[in-house]
Amino acid sequence: MAALGVNKFDFLGDDGLVDALLMEVADLLRTLIADGRGGSIDLLGLPLSAACLAEVEARLGDGEICARLNVSGESVVRETSIAGVWRVRHADEAGNVVALLIEVAAVPEILKASRVDMERGLRRLREVTNFSLVRPAR
Amino acid sequence: MESGETVGDMLARRGFSRRGLLKFAIAMTSSLALPPSLAPVMAENLAMARRQSVIWLSFQECTGCLETLLRTENPTIAGLIFDFISLDYQEALMAASGSAAELTLRQAVAANAGKYLLAIDGSVPVKDGGVYSLTGGRANVDMLQEFAPDAAAILAIGTCAAYGGIPKAFPNPTGAVGVEDVISDQPIVNIPGCPPIPEVLSGVLVYFVSFGRLPELDDRKRPLAYFGTTIHDQCYRKPFYDQGKFAKSFDDEGARLGWCLFELGCKGPTTHNACASLKWNDGTSFPIESGHGCLGCSEPDFWDQEGGFYTSLAGGTGPSWRGAEIAAASGVALGAVAAIAARRKVPGA
Repeated sequence: MAALGVNKFDFLGDDGLVDALLMEVADLLRTLIADGRGGSIDLLGLPLSAACLAEVEARLGDGEICARLNVSGESVVRETSIAGVWRVRHADEAGNVVALLIEVAAVPEILKASRVDMERGLRRLREVTNFSLVRPAR
Repeated sequence: MESGETVGDMLARRGFSRRGLLKFAIAMTSSLALPPSLAPVMAENLAMARRQSVIWLSFQECTGCLETLLRTENPTIAGLIFDFISLDYQEALMAASGSAAELTLRQAVAANAGKYLLAIDGSVPVKDGGVYSLTGGRANVDMLQEFAPDAAAILAIGTCAAYGGIPKAFPNPTGAVGVEDVISDQPIVNIPGCPPIPEVLSGVLVYFVSFGRLPELDDRKRPLAYFGTTIHDQCYRKPFYDQGKFAKSFDDEGARLGWCLFELGCKGPTTHNACASLKWNDGTSFPIESGHGCLGCSEPDFWDQEGGFYTSLAGGTGPSWRGAEIAAASGVALGAVAAIAARRKVPGA
């Protein structure tokens, strides 16, 4: 994240910013536990320095899951050491980061297969089985 | 795209997954400074949408705006944007010419009346009946007045279309004006810049296709997400401004150390645009990063600024140190407030 370089909230100090961000994460996690609704924080929309982002990553740590997606460029979904809190990094096909999120969810939205894609998958299965034992979607 | 097909159907036919559409929506919500929670809604709306008709008229212009929009090398953005819209008329890109092109224009307008986006690049000359810029023998101003009423909204692309731009520069021999000086009763979004940033047009188009309305605009009808802060607010050299460290010439020690270009005429403090965050050439750089001050090309009358491009905003003979000191003293706080709305692209992060 060296390209950022400037912390425009430097009068608060990096620790203050990181604490504020992590409190927001805690609020989202509390809501997720209570009623199943999570949320996301767009890190590119915040005036965070490279040091701040590194500090956020260090404090959240790494969890058990890391998924790499090849979807119009690489996306990396990494669980943090806090269950339900994920770091999500989306890059385009040129390698530019187009979104950097902290997502609070049981499973990040981008990992879920959509119904539309699953229906298409079922049709594909019917095509490759050579017989009609695979019933169409209801 | 087949008749009646939704964008989602079309993307699926090409093997593009909904997951890919969601990723695109996540990137666009970030770019538009929208809450990330809107990304699934945007993706679903895009999937259900029909392709948006866009009719693009080029008036008194240099084709630089169209060039920059076509030259974007980001395959994700460029590819998807042209999937989401149906560019039904654009003289420089379409194969048809002459009367066939005129027929195409009339058919596109008739088929999409009330629904098309009217994109304009170039200023509108109005002096002497608009005779200084004609298409097919018709004055630009007459075409604008004919096709604007049936548009869902008008996109004024580039500083010329937004404010008159370079053709309007003194002594403005053609009476050039911006679109909003001619049309006052239609929704207009200005996307200024000489040229404008491609991602800004992408963002506006995607927002319109997703939500059926224009994004929030500032008092100059610019999308607030991209024009809400100044170049200076987001500039990586701003800490030098705050410290009072200014380059005095383009080859002095300060310039080599990357100090602030304020005294060399940089118009960043008064220019609203997203160059410092989105950057140019797919996030490579922007003028200040290349060692030259901002010219303020996205602001009205930028060509006629008092003192010219290389005169400090503080005055003609160098900076007003008193002004600079006051600005430096308050700069951190002002920058912090302004930065709340700032967004960044981070190549290689």
